[in-house]
Amino acid sequence: MKIGVFVCHCGSNIEGTVDTAAVAAAAREFPGVAFATDTMYTCSEPGQEEIVTAIKEQQLDGVVVASCTPRMHEQTFRRTVERAGLNRYLFEMANIREHVSWIGKDREANTNKAIDLVRMSAAKLLHNRPLLSKKFEINKRVLIIGGGVAGIQAALDCAEGGLQVVLVEKTSSIGGKMAKLDKTFPTVDCSSCILGPRMVDVAQHPNITLHAYSEIDEVSGYVGNFEVKVKKKATYVDWKKCTGCGVCMTKCPSRKATDYFNEGIGKTTAINIPFPQAIPKKAKIDADFCMKLQKGKCGICEKICPTGCIDYSQQDEYVTEKVGAIIAATGFDLFDWTVYGEYGAGRYPDVITSLQYERMLSASGPTGGHIKRPSDGREPKNVVFIQCVGSRDKSVGRPYCTGFCCMYTAKQAILTKDHLPESRSYVFYMDIRATGKNYDEFTRRAMEEYDAKYIRGRVSMIYPKGDRLLVRGADTLMGTQVELDADLVVLAVGAQAAAGANQLAEKLRISYDSYGFYMEGHPKLKPVETNTAGVYLAGSCQGPKDIPSSVSQGSAAAAKVLGLFSKDKLESDPQVSMVDIKRCIGCGKCMKTCPFGAIKEIDFRGMKKAEVIETICQGCGICTSTCPQGAVQLQHFTDNQILSEVNALCQF
Amino acid sequence: MPVLKGKELRIVGFLCNWCSYGGADTAGVGRFTQPTDLRIIRVPCSGRIDPLFIIKTLMNGADGVLVSGCHPRDCHYAEGNFYARRRLEVLHRFLPILGFEPGRFEYTWVSASEGQRWQQVVTRFTEQIHKLGPAPKIAGPEASKTLRQMEAAL
Amino acid sequence: MKYQQELKDSIRKALPDLDVVIAWSSGFDPLHATPHFIRRDEDIDRLEIGPLCVHNLATYLPGLRGKKVGIVVKGCDSRSVIELLQENLIKREDVTIFGFPCTGVVDQTKVRKALGNAGRVDFCQVASQTLVVGAGGTEHKLRLSKVLADKCFSCQYPNALLADHFVGEKISPSVAEEEGYDDLAAFENMPLDERFAFWQKEMDRCIRCYACRNACPMCVCRDHCLAESRDPHWLSQEDNVRDKWMFQLIHAYHLAGRCTECGECQRACPMDIPLLLLKKKMNKEIKELFQYEAGVDPAATPPLLSFKMEEENIKEREW
Repeated sequence: MKIGVFVCHCGSNIEGTVDTAAVAAAAREFPGVAFATDTMYTCSEPGQEEIVTAIKEQQLDGVVVASCTPRMHEQTFRRTVERAGLNRYLFEMANIREHVSWIGKDREANTNKAIDLVRMSAAKLLHNRPLLSKKFEINKRVLIIGGGVAGIQAALDCAEGGLQVVLVEKTSSIGGKMAKLDKTFPTVDCSSCILGPRMVDVAQHPNITLHAYSEIDEVSGYVGNFEVKVKKKATYVDWKKCTGCGVCMTKCPSRKATDYFNEGIGKTTAINIPFPQAIPKKAKIDADFCMKLQKGKCGICEKICPTGCIDYSQQDEYVTEKVGAIIAATGFDLFDWTVYGEYGAGRYPDVITSLQYERMLSASGPTGGHIKRPSDGREPKNVVFIQCVGSRDKSVGRPYCTGFCCMYTAKQAILTKDHLPESRSYVFYMDIRATGKNYDEFTRRAMEEYDAKYIRGRVSMIYPKGDRLLVRGADTLMGTQVELDADLVVLAVGAQAAAGANQLAEKLRISYDSYGFYMEGHPKLKPVETNTAGVYLAGSCQGPKDIPSSVSQGSAAAAKVLGLFSKDKLESDPQVSMVDIKRCIGCGKCMKTCPFGAIKEIDFRGMKKAEVIETICQGCGICTSTCPQGAVQLQHFTDNQILSEVNALCQF
Repeated sequence: MPVLKGKELRIVGFLCNWCSYGGADTAGVGRFTQPTDLRIIRVPCSGRIDPLFIIKTLMNGADGVLVSGCHPRDCHYAEGNFYARRRLEVLHRFLPILGFEPGRFEYTWVSASEGQRWQQVVTRFTEQIHKLGPAPKIAGPEASKTLRQMEAAL
Repeated sequence: MKYQQELKDSIRKALPDLDVVIAWSSGFDPLHATPHFIRRDEDIDRLEIGPLCVHNLATYLPGLRGKKVGIVVKGCDSRSVIELLQENLIKREDVTIFGFPCTGVVDQTKVRKALGNAGRVDFCQVASQTLVVGAGGTEHKLRLSKVLADKCFSCQYPNALLADHFVGEKISPSVAEEEGYDDLAAFENMPLDERFAFWQKEMDRCIRCYACRNACPMCVCRDHCLAESRDPHWLSQEDNVRDKWMFQLIHAYHLAGRCTECGECQRACPMDIPLLLLKKKMNKEIKELFQYEAGVDPAATPPLLSFKMEEENIKEREW
């Protein structure tokens, strides 16, 4: 083999701490290396041209690029060598940026390490073989998990693009967090007026199948051919018959059920439709509060339902959906702020969350849009907003900025003045983060036109003083202590990963960060992809996002799926296992350990042998490390390839 | 062989492509300074790591071997690290019978987001190997000679 | 041996339905038994069982796949049969197992050392805990406890664990279970550098004859052993300690969770390298980690081919 080695400077990123010319010079001495040079930016147009030219002029049949991580540019360079007529797998990358130049400043040690990594890549390359893809059929349906604004956007875009969409929503209505909002910033337009029509579109679109009150039970298969088991939780109401008339709600005697939609402001009935604009507009029974289901007595809803749709014996039902791609749009949950003792840890009824306040502001909410103190129903005069509750706070394990609280707090201060012209709002903030279009202007309006008093500092204590609350904090700009008499305190509670996000990630085989937010394929270049082919992300499940960003991601994920499905067949990754039929003794250990059932037993001239089903094999290589005689080898990571790397590094 | 005399020891890492290799990248992107001894071999999954690779690496004269994969339950291939955990644990307990200090080989789990944790793992493991010093070498010809012949045979 | 006749009768009854029955007969001299393949009725008469029947005949089974085979097994041999069944390398309906209670087999190396240069062996008898060997005109009396194989002193399964025909009375193990790894514990009391030196010295004596592998009933790769393969290319063909040691570790690792401790590797080694020690270590760790012993339950799954989401005995590394 004639190998060409290209050592990248990456500007000064690598060259700053690695002598790339010395690495190239050392590489010329390695077995098989016929050509080695250092280049300024290998990934740039001229850099790639240099590789193409060298392959042609030097008749190279293998290329090593020593530059950044293969997770960044492996695909780029594979295409480059392919352009020059080489098979894309006759290429190796040595990671001398993330793993060398960026983690130490010792130029001698770095250069030496870079040489080792190039030696290792060249040694492996000597054992590389050309690999070719196979084509396979795809199922052009998409599953979207989560019916918040991101999921709705993705569903509508995919459906409009002609795809069959399966939308799975955990609660009994789509709409997500946005449906709970009164108004949206920075336009202060009505949230349900802009979301409502889109929700109706979802219900009416012929290409969308909606499974509400459902969860993902199991996911198997692979890109193009996933099989997803959906658990449709028992609602005790036959939704085929339910018309959403709501008579049951008026007669249900159990009126103390937790009102999840209204964030616990007020109570609801055991059988309920969460809000008037719910999609699907169907009733469900909250079994924890239903007298019939708990004690066996009552049955009123069954008696009065005009369509006879109540069914107390209903069980969870499972449906299997076959899809080719999956978009996770599972959103976020609010941080549990009661860990903060200084804010009363939940003891004071007049300390509420921003989302509870939002329900209070909403004309369709439990207070009919009137701002009332939960303790005595009085209209507040002084409203104190505290920002960064469970955001930018290492002490509660939430060091990240939720990002949208500054904006909604400004919006709520404006709305407070609109509702109660006599009131005064005070906002305790750390920094104001208003980086979107028209955002900073909006916060200024809150201060300048709506007279919200912004105080830069943290609140150290809230305690009751008569029937009001005393809020004590610091004003760090003035360098003074501040004490305010408050009638109502609204906490701008930060976002955290949705409950159950980790379990879902494990089912989807995608990664999540230490906070439970899903990992995108690349922080800049693959914001809606994951590292699992065919699984995409939209909205706050990837990290807290405001509505415009969630919608953009919903559309972006839809575009990715439409792009994926624009081909009639997908190409399989040829990095799959292959059985050397001579060496196979048919013991079946590989079949036992394969997580995908990708190895089947065949009869070869009367002997049992193993055979890999290429389209099912995902390329993990568990079979290869299981087979004692090395008969099944994962292509591109064969025993010989890994051994050659070991041998290149260790020969003492 | 280019192990910097008196400065470095030969430490080889086998890292899962999806988690720990990405974690090492994240550490690089964050410019988290680390000792320079470690050389990383990228594999698709910790389940691909035949314990014999680790034995072979030690036999060839490495002073330390570090394996890192996805956290259990977080495997890109669903089950790979569960198999790896059993195989690697058995190896960890087996190596001392051969006369290798148990600390010459460690396995751990680092996810793609845990750049800082990767920095800690590398720093700690490198310190551990430096404390142990160079590994005992097997008598006989240098591996490089044999290896050249093996290469030539192919 | 007192059950010998009973065994012969039992085989005689079964033979018409079988292609072959594997047993032992007297070998090149009265001190050595040899594997004996019974195909005809008259072959049965030469069958012998007793402490000289050292070979684990299960080694032959995978090679006779597809034939109806009878096999005579000691307790340890039966575990190999079970392991082969578990791994689907032989079929239960193809194998007829004849078991008997084993009171231990001799270690020919120990006998050789005890006899010294005694000359040609004329006869050999077992009489109440004594092996009587007539060689070079003299009668040598060897206490069985001095010449039995080491594995027999830690044997927990003297009776065939699985048998279609069992002759004689079942006996109980002669040692308590916890004593089984005493020899290993003694080795592990040595400092690490001495262990390293020990293996280098032992492996230096290896002549790469692969008798250990060929005798091993669980070494089923046969012609496709990694030792002689170029793809994958794990080992050179050189006579150096590194590759010879590596081969033994490949062997030990391929047997992890599968080795039934029959000791054939060590018995077959012409250089008397204590190979069983490596396998015992592996088995001990696997037993501790997974409460698993190979070759006991034909329906079990070897621990390295399975997993638990939460492992009871594996502590996650704290870093």
